[in-house]
Amino acid sequence: MKHAVSHIIPNLTTLTASQTLFDMVPLFREIYAFRDLLWILVGKNIKIRYKRSALGFLWTFLNPVFMIIIYSIFLKILLSFDARDPLFLQRLVTGILVWQFLAMCVGDSLHAVLGNASLVKKTSFPRIILPLSTVLANFVNFAITLPILVVFLFVNGTTLGDMWLLPLVIASQFALCLGVSLILSCMNVFFRDTEHLMSAVMLAWFFLSPIIYPFSKIPEAFQRLALLNPMCGIVTAYRTAFLGTDLMAPRLVVISLLMSWLILALGVSLFQRWQVNFGDKL
Amino acid sequence: MTTPAPIIDVRNVSKRFSLQQQRGETTIKAIVVDALRGHGKRRDFWALRDVNVAVQQGETVGIIGSNGAGKSTLLSLISQTSQPTSGTITTRGKVSSLLELGAGFHPDLTGRENVFLYGAIMGLSHRQMAERFDQIVAFAELAEWIDEPVKHYSSGMYVRLAFSVAVEVDPDILIIDEVLAVGDASFQRKCIARIDAFKQAGKTLLVVSHDLNTVHTISDQLILMEKGQIIATGDPDAVVAQYQWLSRETACTAETKEWGTGAVKIKAARFLDAEGQEAEELQRGMPVRIEIGYEASRRIDAPVFGFSIQTTSGILVYGNNTQIEEFDLPFIEGKGTITLDFSALELLAGAYLFSFSVHSQDHQTNYHRLDNGHPITVRSERRYEGVCHMPVRWSVGKGK
Repeated sequence: MKHAVSHIIPNLTTLTASQTLFDMVPLFREIYAFRDLLWILVGKNIKIRYKRSALGFLWTFLNPVFMIIIYSIFLKILLSFDARDPLFLQRLVTGILVWQFLAMCVGDSLHAVLGNASLVKKTSFPRIILPLSTVLANFVNFAITLPILVVFLFVNGTTLGDMWLLPLVIASQFALCLGVSLILSCMNVFFRDTEHLMSAVMLAWFFLSPIIYPFSKIPEAFQRLALLNPMCGIVTAYRTAFLGTDLMAPRLVVISLLMSWLILALGVSLFQRWQVNFGDKL
Repeated sequence: MTTPAPIIDVRNVSKRFSLQQQRGETTIKAIVVDALRGHGKRRDFWALRDVNVAVQQGETVGIIGSNGAGKSTLLSLISQTSQPTSGTITTRGKVSSLLELGAGFHPDLTGRENVFLYGAIMGLSHRQMAERFDQIVAFAELAEWIDEPVKHYSSGMYVRLAFSVAVEVDPDILIIDEVLAVGDASFQRKCIARIDAFKQAGKTLLVVSHDLNTVHTISDQLILMEKGQIIATGDPDAVVAQYQWLSRETACTAETKEWGTGAVKIKAARFLDAEGQEAEELQRGMPVRIEIGYEASRRIDAPVFGFSIQTTSGILVYGNNTQIEEFDLPFIEGKGTITLDFSALELLAGAYLFSFSVHSQDHQTNYHRLDNGHPITVRSERRYEGVCHMPVRWSVGKGK
């Protein structure tokens, strides 16, 4: 028993003013040590979203289903876009589902630290667990929508594309979502304006990313620049995986995906540097 | 012989808050203003300055001091919810804290969920918490409420659950900030009993409390803080006495007040000890004389002089006046002195506030009333309980 405790919490804890916690191996070890806490918080984040709703967790399935049905009716029947582009609807639905994972993460991250002020002020645990738990909760939602997407594609007679890309793309999007969440959850503690600023930023980001249009619609002169937006590569790679369309030079997609990991690294270093001040600021 | 390394080792720790930081959110305006002024204008506040504390395993250490002395800041640094500006803090073992009335609970979660959440933060597995769960709920007396969100709890319920969980997670070090002040008397007794058991198990305890009696009783060692610094540490009796001496003017809840028509003015009250020396610090059981100097601007018939004694927490200990004592003063005019003699001052060790008054016999006219204007510290060799001494005698009788 004694041993069990000592491996969970390092028995000797020294805090000094100059300590910077940005060191990946101890960070992973710390997160692992607090994995029970992480799962409780993930469960809490999932539960709280559907609190007091009769259908509860079922909404995770119903929301994307309703969304797909509504888009199908309005776009396919009323606007008959499909005459011009047979994969228009499929591309749009894929893009929107992928976008929603990011958008939900951004929305939740703003309160990942602020909303847990009572924990942060009174207990000691790796703060990174808080934004990580909101991203994981949203990842659970996203993972549930993927089979729904596959069913939708199957119903529409679409053949799946390069599905082997999927793990790489999902991992990269997870890295992006976590990186952005780390930055925003931290920023919002120190500048509450972040919250309001983000609704405008997200709207711009939505239209700057190939969600409702294919990457090829971006003027060629801007395509290289656009690849700095990690969502360009991510959405395009998802479409390649699910639809076998929107093929791009792999080199270009890789640039875009690397941006995601770069943002994660930035997020971790920023968060770890500033998290020591959370207790005083909240 | 070497002493073992302390379980809590605070070395040269200082903590600075900048006032901008204290204001909470940073606004664009504040940023612009700061940028224009340069950071030199930012006002700093040192909550702690060069603090050193060493607590050995198994010790119970109490921290006392007036509000804003830095007690809570020190506890939050030891609990690692805040970082020192300079210096190092080392703790050996698992620290469980009850800071500012409560453990880290999430208001939206139920009592049950919070118990497991706290367990996870303290590094206990779900199974380990499940084993303790019934005991925690029973101790907190919250069986009916445990599945309600804690935001619906009363402050008493909240603290009961917090205390119960914090103790049950098997910490090596338990940190308690003012928690014992909340909750009813019976729960407080339960807490003290639980704390005693915790001490018996050889665990370490760090307590902040304004309740001097409790903290004095449970602590092996006391630390007295003032303005972010430790000014005394050691034997509880000595530290409490020093605190009471320091706080005789500042810590009283009752404020000094003065009112009346002014027809008679109490000019001064001199406290004289057994040797006839003027003193603010008196010895229990010794004679004390108080000379009350007055000045009546005109002739006042049949005035009544009175006095009362209060503790710093506002409890009236004793009051008396010349009317009750049937000491008739026909009239007064001009300057004079009334003398009040205690054959023995039977107040127990502590700080007391003396009030004086002069009024008419029918209490209709207040000439002058001076409340809590005279703080006095009393020392006593023997540790009695309560506020005043009653001469009693113990004896053994033959059983029948």
